[in-house]
Amino acid sequence: MLFCMLIALLNGLVIGASRAINGQLSGNAGPLQASLWNHAVGFLLLCLLLALNGWPHAALATIPLGAYLGGFYGALFVAVNSFVFNRLGAMKAALLVIGGQMLFAVVLDWQHQQTAPGVLRCAGVAVILLGMYLSKTTVASGATASPSTRDANQVENVV
Amino acid sequence: MLRQFKDGLLAIGGGALLALMIDSNSQLAMATSPVFSSWLAHGVGALVALMVLSLATGLRGGSASRGAQPGHSPLWFYLGGIPGAFTVLLAAVAVNGRLSLAGAIALMMVGQVVFGLVSDHFGLLRVPLRRVGSRDLLVVLCVLSGSVMVIFGGAR
Repeated sequence: MLFCMLIALLNGLVIGASRAINGQLSGNAGPLQASLWNHAVGFLLLCLLLALNGWPHAALATIPLGAYLGGFYGALFVAVNSFVFNRLGAMKAALLVIGGQMLFAVVLDWQHQQTAPGVLRCAGVAVILLGMYLSKTTVASGATASPSTRDANQVENVV
Repeated sequence: MLRQFKDGLLAIGGGALLALMIDSNSQLAMATSPVFSSWLAHGVGALVALMVLSLATGLRGGSASRGAQPGHSPLWFYLGGIPGAFTVLLAAVAVNGRLSLAGAIALMMVGQVVFGLVSDHFGLLRVPLRRVGSRDLLVVLCVLSGSVMVIFGGAR
């Protein structure tokens, strides 16, 4: 149990690292290039993993089209995420993406299950929206607080 | 300030795309296997990114990297797809254990936010330094606790 918890936490760190690296490439080459390299390199690695894991025994033609669209959303997601990563910072980008993901997941579940979300879920949505509102005001105060940006510039000069 | 507000909305829209992506990929993973689903999604994603990139390059007459500051990119800038591909395996290991899917997702979110906090604060992986304030921690608390409520309040 503890091992699985550590793996799940580690996975979050790995996701963060992947987004930070894509953000760096996006800063130099643009978000679409970052998305292209992310998917092409990942695809090559997964070719190897698929060779080890084996081709699945499934009738691929009977699977609904929607199940094949993940790569389409993913290509757009990596481009959008790489773009905002450089402008918002790692933490704020991660928080807003998680928030948007949760809110939209509630809508998707609602649509799939045809039942309205329960009380706890609605309360969770309200708390996420509060967090987003607070982050908006942090952004505003961050724009006027120069010391942090000055520090960042100094560090960039040193590097 | 308006620019940052727009960036924030874009990030939230990115989260919606991510939810759609996971919805599709998990349907495919259930019908086939997690590795196959991720392999196919990366292949399709590479093609879509290539098409959009060439479309954008064509429209802008040769330079698609608007807003980018051309500079030297070390090799590791191109390798974000490697940790990206490994997340599939790690997620499969975490979910296959006794941890519920909801618990695994919650812990992964905590890991992402911790990574964001630490890399902003210390400039890991050349992320620009951004000092983390008490208001930021309040935002972290709201988004994470709200997400946990959404995850565990679900019927699934």
